[in-house]
Amino acid sequence: MLSPTPVAIKKHGRQALSIVWKDGHASRYDFRYLRQKCPCAACVDELTGRPLLDPEQVPLDLTGGAITPVGQYGLSIAFSDPHASGIYHFDLLRAICPCERCKEEETHGTHRRNSD
Amino acid sequence: MDIQAEVIRACGKIIDADFRQDIVALDYVRNVRLHQGHLQFDLVIPTPLFPSKMLLREETLKGVRDLPGVSSVEVRLISEIRGQRQDAIAGVKNIIAIGSGKGGVGKSTVAVNLAVGLAKYGARVGLVDGDVYGPTLPIMLGVQDAGLMQNEKGIIPIEAHGVRLMSMGLLARGSTPLIWRGPMAHKAIQDALLHVDWGECDYLIVDMPPGTGDVHLTLVQTVPVTGAVIVSTPQDVGMIISMKTYRLFEQTKVPLLGMIENMSYHHCTHCGARDEIFGHGRVRIEAEGLGVPFLGEIPLVRQMREQADLGMPAVVLTDTPMAACYLDILGRLTAEVHLAQRRAIPVIEEAAEEAETFSV
Repeated sequence: MLSPTPVAIKKHGRQALSIVWKDGHASRYDFRYLRQKCPCAACVDELTGRPLLDPEQVPLDLTGGAITPVGQYGLSIAFSDPHASGIYHFDLLRAICPCERCKEEETHGTHRRNSD
Repeated sequence: MDIQAEVIRACGKIIDADFRQDIVALDYVRNVRLHQGHLQFDLVIPTPLFPSKMLLREETLKGVRDLPGVSSVEVRLISEIRGQRQDAIAGVKNIIAIGSGKGGVGKSTVAVNLAVGLAKYGARVGLVDGDVYGPTLPIMLGVQDAGLMQNEKGIIPIEAHGVRLMSMGLLARGSTPLIWRGPMAHKAIQDALLHVDWGECDYLIVDMPPGTGDVHLTLVQTVPVTGAVIVSTPQDVGMIISMKTYRLFEQTKVPLLGMIENMSYHHCTHCGARDEIFGHGRVRIEAEGLGVPFLGEIPLVRQMREQADLGMPAVVLTDTPMAACYLDILGRLTAEVHLAQRRAIPVIEEAAEEAETFSV
């Protein structure tokens, strides 16, 4: 199975989540950024994939609460707004890594290697 | 001379076939002691199945008996079933889902025999009947008339043949059907997993209903499933549907522990001739093609069905071809469970207080 596998998952207070992947890459996500990327059916149209959530509408002071594993394949996050219905697959989390290197690769259209 | 180092060196050449790794790398060799020429040490195996390790013990004995200064050797086999760290169900070490695509491939029979087989060798085993609409496990274990009780930790599962069972069949008894929509089934399976007093449990086996529906999603989202087993007949139509179940596990990141070919062949009750009713060997070929372990084949035997109806799983009897068949499968299965633990997702930790300058 070629898919990103986390080797460490840490919660940094109410501000951020960090994941170290099997290939050694480290990702760090602000909870507000994750809330903006929520993949649930209320935030993204299920059929068309059109975003239903305006990222600017997410409060600037939004924080994150409990993080629960969803089976072996993802995480569920309870935000302060208090939205909690998105399941963040590890595939998604790896794909939206906000670090400079990943953003650059995305804009250049290069395919990132799977970490497993 | 350092006897510890000598033993480790000698044991480093001995391979556990189930893992394709040597027994030192697998961390089996412990407590090496030499006293007046008498060498003693333990082989700590990650499975309750001692019979499958007797050969390994023999091999180990042979490997060390000629070491200098050794006149006699004693190797003890000790079982230590390890588990994944998880918070969903306290006390449960490993959760194994047994699935199939199609109904009627004998999945529940296989699940019951795997559970009873593990218990027979000393493991603490729980069994969840995931089929809320057609629960058969209470009948197969002969406890269809047992009543459920509750304590402060939850429902107390019914014990039969050394296995703790939770099934909807224990709530809606006899011919009373459960006519439920999906959300009710979802709730029922969550209750059967989380609101049951499983106690200390090495393996919790979940017998899934056929298909890819509510129960499957609930299971994989509620608890960290260590891995799944797919049971199929060698018949084409069964195999094709099983592939759907394979994809479900793949998409939800449940490691596939392996595939079992059930109803692999039939020995005629009268003349003993072998008849491959549904074909033979197709599951092994599919498993190999997918890079998934093939755990073994189980023949179609009349006695198996008769015993199941009487609430006496086939594996209860020792020294039958069927028991040998299951022992073989359990050896590979417990090895795969142990390997899957190493791939499980890490526990989410609270980062130690750190300088907030690191945050963006």
